[in-house]
Amino acid sequence: MKWLELLTVAGATLTAAVTVVVLYSLGVRLTAIAGDSQTVAPAWVRYFAYICFGLCGVAVLFGLYLIIPYFSG
Amino acid sequence: MVALVIALALFFDFTNGFHDTANAMATPIATGAIKPKTAVALAAVLNLVGAFLSTEVAKTVSGGIIREGNDGIQITPEIIFAGLMGAILWNMITWLKGLPSSSSHALFGGLIGAAAAGIGFHSINLESLLQKVILPAIFAPLIAGIVAYICTRVAYALTSRHDPETGSKLTQKRGGFRTGQIFTSSLVALAHGTNDAQKTMGIITLVLIAAGTQDPGSGPQFWVIAACAFAIAIGTYAGGWRIIRTMGAGLTEVKPAQGFAAESSTASAILASSHLGFALSTTQVASGSVIGSGMGRKGTTVRWGMVGRIALGWLFTLPAAGIVGALTAILVKTGVVGVVIAAVAGTAAVLYMFLVSRKSQVGHHNAVEVEEAGQAVRFAKKKALARARAAERAKANKPKDAQR
Repeated sequence: MKWLELLTVAGATLTAAVTVVVLYSLGVRLTAIAGDSQTVAPAWVRYFAYICFGLCGVAVLFGLYLIIPYFSG
Repeated sequence: MVALVIALALFFDFTNGFHDTANAMATPIATGAIKPKTAVALAAVLNLVGAFLSTEVAKTVSGGIIREGNDGIQITPEIIFAGLMGAILWNMITWLKGLPSSSSHALFGGLIGAAAAGIGFHSINLESLLQKVILPAIFAPLIAGIVAYICTRVAYALTSRHDPETGSKLTQKRGGFRTGQIFTSSLVALAHGTNDAQKTMGIITLVLIAAGTQDPGSGPQFWVIAACAFAIAIGTYAGGWRIIRTMGAGLTEVKPAQGFAAESSTASAILASSHLGFALSTTQVASGSVIGSGMGRKGTTVRWGMVGRIALGWLFTLPAAGIVGALTAILVKTGVVGVVIAAVAGTAAVLYMFLVSRKSQVGHHNAVEVEEAGQAVRFAKKKALARARAAERAKANKPKDAQR
């Protein structure tokens, strides 16, 4: 039986999905903070949100890079 | 015979495409992230791209389940013909019922049935069957479901905001997940292309090798890759709206954050599994993710009756496709007449199911019930302004879609 491979797949799935979701959620939360009308949030919050979205994109691209044999081949 | 098998294989690829559009595009359609027509077009293009990206899976397809090669039994085009027949018919039946079932299992089932009837039971490698089909079938939805559950929890925990003094809810902007859904669902479509189009390529290559027109051990030829890529893309564009309805609204209501979590888990699971060599079924992963994300959000009910129906469908996939495959194999064994009878009967069955499907049409206009969308809008009005605006945008899109 390929229990080890099963575990690897489960682990990789969990890591990848959680990374993407955490980064994107942080981005969403920071955008929400930056968009608050009553209290004016510092400007860096918005940039931080963009950084989160950017990192999320990088994480996805890195995953694709690992998977497409043309690059990692 | 070879030409017939190739045509049948391409048709299987087509049914595979439209059967599995739902995996990638059901949740963004349900949350209104992408318009239905745009969604299937996007999925089609990405499937096409995905099919060209990697042909790793194609080389290892059906390998092992049926003892092939020098010391084993030679697979003949006839067996593959019978196997494909079983797979296509089962795909059509489940589509008619709106059940998301695994196309790969249908294919394996058909091939196993055909080999058992055409050659004998000794031709089947039971250990390999357990390892490649049965165990993944249990673990695919489990892994995806657990990961999606965790992701949904994390997404909601990270974005929930309360005013520290009054305790009232602050702007959460969870509508932002809608944009993210476009990317995650695209990733699922891409993953589907790298995964499922390969199976047909593998089959056609197997036939070509069996017929002696290609060297054993060589990869798929370019025209095979191109034909399969286009077949799956066209199938995807045709869109299995019935299954989209089941996945998008039948299992649980899907909100943008849930959809995002579910799709990230689906994409990671498929890509991880096809890369690390423990093949999981796209459909089972996607269904598991949707259920998992449904359990992850408070106040959402998972429709367990529907889950049960789907699980039952999965149980039957292998034997049902196998029986059709076996019957076809017996027919084909009798000679040319048998092949003709099998081909005609198969075409008639597919046509019949298509005609039945016309009676109760499920198209892009009614794939996800308007009722559901209405609920989402009412829900949103209670919440922040941003979400209401996004929902209204979705509502504004609805009539436009209905007109087309």
